[in-house]
Amino acid sequence: MNAIQIKMREVAGQLLSLGEVDRVIGWEKGRFAHQSPPAFITDETKVERLIWDEYCLTGTAKYLLDDPYRAGKTGLFARGCDARAINRLIQDGQVKRENIVIIGICCTGMSDSVSRQMAAKCCDCTHPTPVVYDLMIGEPVKPVAKPERFKAVAELEQKAAQEKSEYWTRQFAKCIRCYACRNICPACNCRECFADQYRVGWLGKQHHTAENQVFGLTRAYHIADRCIECGECARVCPVGIPLMELNRKLIKDIQQLFGDYHAGVDSETAPPLGRYSLDDMEEFM
Amino acid sequence: MRRIGVFICHCGSNIAATVDCAKVAEAARGFPGVVYSADYKYMCSEPGQEFIKAAIAQEDLNAIVVASCTPRMHELTFRKTLANGGLNPYLFEMANLREQCSWVHTDKEKATVKAIDLVKMAAAKANKNEELTSSTMPVHKKALVIGAGIAGMQAALDIADAGHQVVLVEREPTIGGKMPMLDKTFPTMDCSACISTPKMVEVAQHPNIELLAYAEVTEVKGFIGSFTVQIRQKAKYVDHDKCTGCGLCETKCPSKVPNEYDLGLGQRACIYKPFAQAVPNKPVIDPLHCRKLVDNKCGLCAKVCPTGAVNYQDAERLFTDTFGAIVMATGYDLYPWEEIYGEYGYGRFPDVITGLQFERMVNASGPTGGKLKRPSDGQEPKSVVFIKCVGSREPAKAKGYCSRACCMYTAKHAHQVLDKIPDAAVYVFYMDVRAAGKAYDEFYEATLKDGAVYLRGRVSKIYQEGSKLIVKGEDSLLGRPVQVTADLVVLATAMIPSQGSRELAQTVGFLPDLDGWYQEAHPKLRPVETPTAGVFLAGACQGPKDIPDTVAQAGAAAAKVCGLLSKSQLETNPMTARSNPAICSGCGLCVAVCPYKAIQLISLADRDRYGKRINRTVADVNHGLCQGCGACTVTCRSGAIDLQGFKNNQILEEVDALWR
Repeated sequence: MNAIQIKMREVAGQLLSLGEVDRVIGWEKGRFAHQSPPAFITDETKVERLIWDEYCLTGTAKYLLDDPYRAGKTGLFARGCDARAINRLIQDGQVKRENIVIIGICCTGMSDSVSRQMAAKCCDCTHPTPVVYDLMIGEPVKPVAKPERFKAVAELEQKAAQEKSEYWTRQFAKCIRCYACRNICPACNCRECFADQYRVGWLGKQHHTAENQVFGLTRAYHIADRCIECGECARVCPVGIPLMELNRKLIKDIQQLFGDYHAGVDSETAPPLGRYSLDDMEEFM
Repeated sequence: MRRIGVFICHCGSNIAATVDCAKVAEAARGFPGVVYSADYKYMCSEPGQEFIKAAIAQEDLNAIVVASCTPRMHELTFRKTLANGGLNPYLFEMANLREQCSWVHTDKEKATVKAIDLVKMAAAKANKNEELTSSTMPVHKKALVIGAGIAGMQAALDIADAGHQVVLVEREPTIGGKMPMLDKTFPTMDCSACISTPKMVEVAQHPNIELLAYAEVTEVKGFIGSFTVQIRQKAKYVDHDKCTGCGLCETKCPSKVPNEYDLGLGQRACIYKPFAQAVPNKPVIDPLHCRKLVDNKCGLCAKVCPTGAVNYQDAERLFTDTFGAIVMATGYDLYPWEEIYGEYGYGRFPDVITGLQFERMVNASGPTGGKLKRPSDGQEPKSVVFIKCVGSREPAKAKGYCSRACCMYTAKHAHQVLDKIPDAAVYVFYMDVRAAGKAYDEFYEATLKDGAVYLRGRVSKIYQEGSKLIVKGEDSLLGRPVQVTADLVVLATAMIPSQGSRELAQTVGFLPDLDGWYQEAHPKLRPVETPTAGVFLAGACQGPKDIPDTVAQAGAAAAKVCGLLSKSQLETNPMTARSNPAICSGCGLCVAVCPYKAIQLISLADRDRYGKRINRTVADVNHGLCQGCGACTVTCRSGAIDLQGFKNNQILEEVDALWR
């Protein structure tokens, strides 16, 4: 049994038995050897369910929103991506820091359940060590710049407008509007998504490439300066739309226009599009 | 279902020359909901408006589109027409065929196609427009004037004379601002103190003015008609109710420090009135230098005070009051030239002074009793050099704007030197002479006749040689370098917004421009209003100004305040943002982007999805503060906050119409 897993069970057991939390969220072994779905444990005698292996891919933070007003505290196992997701939710006013005990895990990357290679989201990970935590398991790793994660975006930028349009039309022709990308995304934390507001007229219910595209592109804009680059949207997309390319294009543009900003690295710095300052650019005026 | 009437205006030939108005009217008849359309030469004219009213009645119209000029011009006109025709004024929609079409295009055929599209969009929005109603809010009939220079005093007096209550707040121990510091005023050469100090007394004695000197505004909440303002009265250490202003304490105080009022040219005691005619004419103690307050030694002033007015235990006081309107009159300061003008010696040469220091020196009640003296050795200067535009009109180095008053006061100073020292030589280095004012150019011409030598060019260097200053510059009209040996150099430094004015603007709730001057709501049509309703501007806080312009603007601001305070109720603008708590997730992004501080997060009692009683956070819009800019609505991802009259579905309808 690996050291992290031993420590996870030990910490979870302690937190539950001392009553510091009344549930922990981590991962367990499910039906398949190549998948480790999230585990919700409320009983200290069940901590043996917790596991840490190369398939702990699912983000844990978004599950806090399943019952945001529950009374007790939650112990949350958080890798780098989960910690940034927690900051996202705190900054967006969706969870309170004092209601979570963050058990940070220094993560070295997970494997894709199909290819068995390092998962794409982990290849592009810049913050493997949690940026916020109460307890820490493992040896911290420094953040890495990973400029190569913008390679696909840079290549796309080289293409003509027509080619780009065709590329994304092709991608969204595959979309089945299952909304998995939205449901897994920690930045998608609206009470009511614009995609569900049919009466306003944002987009219709019909399944149609143009409407799919409106959904996908609007969602990308809605999380433009708040995307924490966890890569969950692209991971869960059942039809393989490269959603992170859209997100990274916006992140790249925002970094060029507003300077180096990494969403969710802390919960204080306001996102560049979500603040008002006299120094804001107004080249268009 | 809407029955829309579309009215296409020719605007004389403004629109009709470039757009086929009849064709647009004809096309409009095919748009969804449109039951009537017509074109007319001047829709805004009396017959034009009657035409719309008649159509409303005859065709049973319940929504109107006028395609004419910009809504800024005539939206209000046509809303009134609707109201007179018996319709809710917000069932009106305007298409801009002038500024956005005819004025910017030349090809009539293409412009007509575009005009049809613009009308199509307006008609689509008219289909979705809703009736909106204004509410009313009470007006507190009291004005706050911040800053008691000549602008603030004039505004306060004008408002008070109209019968309204005014609170006048001044951060210095005396009111009056910069004007009483000056010796004479151009172009009439009347004594500045003789015309400003009576105003100070008038302010102090006016039954409708409450004067709060040595006080600052620390917090402003609320909105037009009802601003709740917190004011901090600084500790004076002298009970002004007991003090008779006899001045004995000042004469006995053993510590002397440079007097700010004389810009360091003279000295004052640590219990002091800034100048003899100060209002209130009672002293305060300088807590940074008073020996009693710093070291707990001395205490002489308390011993000599015949009325026992000195109180070393005095502390600042905070209090709040409610006002219907606020006038900003915070004035200006001078550019700190010492920080960047190395070529003029960074302030190291004592005989290089500013225009305001010159004023104090030439002032009969100033530190030298009106005698011109070199600060270095007290000798009378025989050669005086004036340098204009120090910091002004220097976009690369300091400020890009013109400070407006310097050309004239430099001419006045030159005249005064020649008047007081008949054998003196006076040189003025200038870029242009801007003397656009009543009797201004004549004054400048007279100064030339007095014998002032105007040299068009900039000074590149000043250095000291013995007791003299060597001024090296260029005469660009002759195209050759010039060198002047001077006893005294006077710099006409740029006006800049007064210290702390940016922070004060943020406290009050509006934003200054990039140079820090307070921005008027419209440079031509609303010059004394700010974008924040109920806040007005007087004097140099809005931009560099001389005294006549300042006084005129203060009167204008006062007229606006009186207009506001003469109402007991204000009608609110219904086109404000509304937050839908059912959708709002309480992320607070709208709060961060609102420039008017109109949105706050509040707690709402609700049930969660499991039926449990909870309190959740939602955004709440203050409709008095909201100006309807729409910044919040575009920030809100879920559309929980929506602008009345510009709702998301209304705008989407317009966009959709364009593609139909």
